[in-house]
Amino acid sequence: MSSPSKWEAVIGLEVHVQVRTRTKMFCGCVNQYGDAQNTHLCPVCLGLPGSLPVPNEEAIRKTILSGLMLGCQIAPVARFDRKNYFYPDMPKNYQISQYDDPLCAGGGVTLDPFLFPKEIQETDEAKAGRKIRLVRIHLEEDVAKSFHFEDRSAIDFNRAGTPLMEIVSEADLRTPGEAFSFLGSLRQILLAGNVSDADMEKGQMRCDVNVSVRPFGQKEYGTKVELKNLNSISGVRRALTYEIARQIAACEKGEAIAHETRRWDDEAGATFTMRTKEKAHDYRYFPEPDLLPVRTDQGLTDSARALVPELPSELQTRLTRDFGVTPYQASVLTADRILCGYYEKAAAGTPNKALVANWILNDFLSTQPDPSTTPVRPEFFGELADLVAGGAINSAQAKKVFTELMANPSSPKEIVKKLGLEQISDSSALAAYCDEAIAANPRSVEDYQAGKMNAINALKGFVMKKSQGKANPVQVDEILKQKLGS
Amino acid sequence: MSAPQINISDVASLARLTLTPEETAKFSSQIGQILSHMDSLKQIETGNVPEVTPPAQPNLRKDEPTPSLSLQAVLSNAPAQANDLIVVPKIVE
Amino acid sequence: MSLTHESIATLRRRLASKEIHSRDIVRDLLQQIEAREKTIHAYTHLDREAALAAAEKSDSSLALGGIPIAIKDNLNVLGDPCTCASKILEGYKAPYDATAIARLRQAGAVFLGRTNMDEFAMGSSTENSALGITRNPWDSTRIPGGSSGGSAAAVGGRIALAALGSDTGGSIRQPAALCGCVGLKPTYGRISRYGLVAFASSLDQIGPLTRTVEDSAILLSALAGHDPRDNTTDLRKPESFLSKPDGSVKGLRVGIPKEYFIPGMDAETEAAVRQSADWFKKNGATLVDVSLPHTPSAIAVYYILATAEASANLARFDGVRYGRRATDPRDVLDLYHRTRSEGFGPEVKRRIILGTFVLSAGYTDAYYRKAQKVRGLIRQDFEKAFASCDLLLTPTSPEPAFKLGERTQDPLKMYLADAFTISVNLAGNPALSLPCGFTQANLPIGLQLIGPRFGEEKILQAAHAYEQSHDWHQRLPPA
Ligand SMILES: [Mg+2]
Ligand SMILES: [Zn+2]
Repeated sequence: MSSPSKWEAVIGLEVHVQVRTRTKMFCGCVNQYGDAQNTHLCPVCLGLPGSLPVPNEEAIRKTILSGLMLGCQIAPVARFDRKNYFYPDMPKNYQISQYDDPLCAGGGVTLDPFLFPKEIQETDEAKAGRKIRLVRIHLEEDVAKSFHFEDRSAIDFNRAGTPLMEIVSEADLRTPGEAFSFLGSLRQILLAGNVSDADMEKGQMRCDVNVSVRPFGQKEYGTKVELKNLNSISGVRRALTYEIARQIAACEKGEAIAHETRRWDDEAGATFTMRTKEKAHDYRYFPEPDLLPVRTDQGLTDSARALVPELPSELQTRLTRDFGVTPYQASVLTADRILCGYYEKAAAGTPNKALVANWILNDFLSTQPDPSTTPVRPEFFGELADLVAGGAINSAQAKKVFTELMANPSSPKEIVKKLGLEQISDSSALAAYCDEAIAANPRSVEDYQAGKMNAINALKGFVMKKSQGKANPVQVDEILKQKLGS
Repeated sequence: MSAPQINISDVASLARLTLTPEETAKFSSQIGQILSHMDSLKQIETGNVPEVTPPAQPNLRKDEPTPSLSLQAVLSNAPAQANDLIVVPKIVE
Repeated sequence: MSLTHESIATLRRRLASKEIHSRDIVRDLLQQIEAREKTIHAYTHLDREAALAAAEKSDSSLALGGIPIAIKDNLNVLGDPCTCASKILEGYKAPYDATAIARLRQAGAVFLGRTNMDEFAMGSSTENSALGITRNPWDSTRIPGGSSGGSAAAVGGRIALAALGSDTGGSIRQPAALCGCVGLKPTYGRISRYGLVAFASSLDQIGPLTRTVEDSAILLSALAGHDPRDNTTDLRKPESFLSKPDGSVKGLRVGIPKEYFIPGMDAETEAAVRQSADWFKKNGATLVDVSLPHTPSAIAVYYILATAEASANLARFDGVRYGRRATDPRDVLDLYHRTRSEGFGPEVKRRIILGTFVLSAGYTDAYYRKAQKVRGLIRQDFEKAFASCDLLLTPTSPEPAFKLGERTQDPLKMYLADAFTISVNLAGNPALSLPCGFTQANLPIGLQLIGPRFGEEKILQAAHAYEQSHDWHQRLPPA
């Protein structure tokens, strides 16, 4: 293997994302996956002779929304085109897509350091917060699903016609970790906008990767290889790690990189040649004559703008600034908007917001709760944090309260009462305990007065034991010192 | 200007057609003639043809489901099917 | 007299008054078909029992209640075959109604049978049909025109009262002219194309072929209007298309485009059309000389754009989901190649190849994009012309029906048959052809009236006035 500094990888991604809508892109069949085969079909999505497409307004709105969230320019007039190629999973043997005038152009994805692989989150690479530019986002229709058998193939057309966004990045990515964070950061934004569940393992987000290598400092790109069959974000990272090493090794041996498509085999952990690209596809794009151009500038974009949510980066900033949580905690909360909502309610009525975050992200989360259905009301955590911060209970007692809270949810104040955990802060009661301690431990008193300051601990221990741990330790310390005359 | 020399078989193959040698010969000469006729367009000045401004799209579909075909209606036209799937010969890249 | 000679307008009145029943009309038609269909061969599919049963159940209180209508074989009718006169759609049965069919159904019409056509509407003579040629009812050695040749021959031959056709470059008007009937191509967007098997999506329009102009207006009213299933239909509501049936042409400005009277065109055709222009003038219209300078480019533009769109539209016929499938294919690629090579006829293959070529890498700019721009100029020509006149008057076809087989070996010459109709499709305007005379050999001659976009009423009004003072439409073809 070479010294890692000599070669640089250049990576570009094409991400297909299924848009979550009730119906398909160009017909009223339900957009739902996993139902009985070939049951969500009509003349349009089955490509019957004579059928015509009509665009789904919601799919267009959600694509514009994605563009707005990603900082793209929205085309005032967008057009659909036909992309011609024959394949049995495509009913018309052309895909209605967008070529010259996509809905969105430009924009970018800022790489979230906490969405890098865990073990490299602390590196400079992750912390750089690079922005990866996008070329475009366009809207098209998904193809059917085929099954391959020994001697034949078979097709379930239900998926055909599902609205599909194609998000194309510039070749700005340089490492597998960046690609990993890009996909995670993109997914988080799409989730925030309720555009798609974008789950790669469910095929809702699919990713083609283009990767080449070149010596550092070289301007020209190396020969690029396309990777397919990437079924998870970590798969993308592993495939890239393998492929970059493969290409570097070849280059070092002076071998040429073939312009080809390679398939990632997850089990083998390697990429294999799928097809060489001798002949470029000739898709013969032309404007879809069955569809009028889409005017986005007459209300459609405005309606999408009204749906733009608080973006992940904005939420993280707000959480660290206004709630005093750590950047890491902010990233955890951002990744789980439901948990975050729960936290925000919990922290709403208390000044001890950071403390609430600790309770929720450490103790509460470790019980694997469902924050949308849990009977533990979020305000309880605010109350618990206030009890601790106000000195009403100590941290050991707080743990007990938490355990009880999870078992029998009710107000922590009541739990404290019920468990008899209230700290004794009444001075006269504490003074009585201290007097008793002094009387019962003359040796310790002597030692203390002789200068052995540690001896006071034995007295404190006596008081805590007598009070069953309820005595306010700070007050006890003060009273003892006073009584012992120091 | 003369029409381009086109390889009829290659173009036919893009359209998933296989031509017989007779068809290839015949179509080559006919399409050659047609293309020469079409080349007359090259003389026409189209430098400042105004872009047609599209009408406002009045016709987008609301995201509301409509009934689908029955499975029986889908499969009844299929030349080959099994287990509710439409069957095709092996797909090779 | 047999009911087959009546107009829809007359039969509607007689049906409504219960003087006759739909079954009487259908029976008379079936009788005529029995006598003439062997010669003409206008139909690809005829279910006599079904037609009679539908007539029996028809409701004469509806707008078209009990009126039998023949349907071009490229429109989907639920449960019927829809062959497009192609082998490749063998066995296909439509699982849905085209919007035009649904509207006729709702208006109470009875579907008589499916009419022959050039395969996938590609042709001007109905000789490109995998289901046999159709003959001209006025002279069975001649073509009926095309591609809606079956519809025109059926109506002209008095074996249908009316028929639906489709017009991409003249496919309703040219056969209507050659068979002596009235053919209307409405404005692009006037009638929903949903369920019409697409040839060239930006040009196709469905329209009626009828005996009379009034019947044309009646069918247009039933068919027109916005369809949420067709993104390109217009939102405006259909007006009454013949609101002043006894109107005159006084004050009408009739444009005579000089490019439509060309050297070498048939002399009898030119004379008949000029005489029609004179009639307009005598009856108070003004004749205006206009120019549509880009007319000579129309055929080239048309055959680039129409074939480009067709190459994509016909890609779906691959033997996977419906229709014919080649036997024992090795793999999917073999399935595609053999199904399509065996299933499509020569004209369809020629056009698919041409359309594939004009879109292919390196040629799009020179052909497809260039043609789009020139199409813009052709559209502009019409807009400018309609600034100075209300209607344009031209011949529909440069010549009457030619002999069977005469042009089949020369596609370019065949394409020239559409020289006077094609520009209208490129511009999207409405146009109607109606009989305006006969040649010495007793072949019908067609007059074309072209209107501004959505100006169907103007056309129908003027055509009706002309028809009222002539009797061309009443002449019967030889028995
Ligand atoms: Mg794509
Ligand atoms: Zn559908």
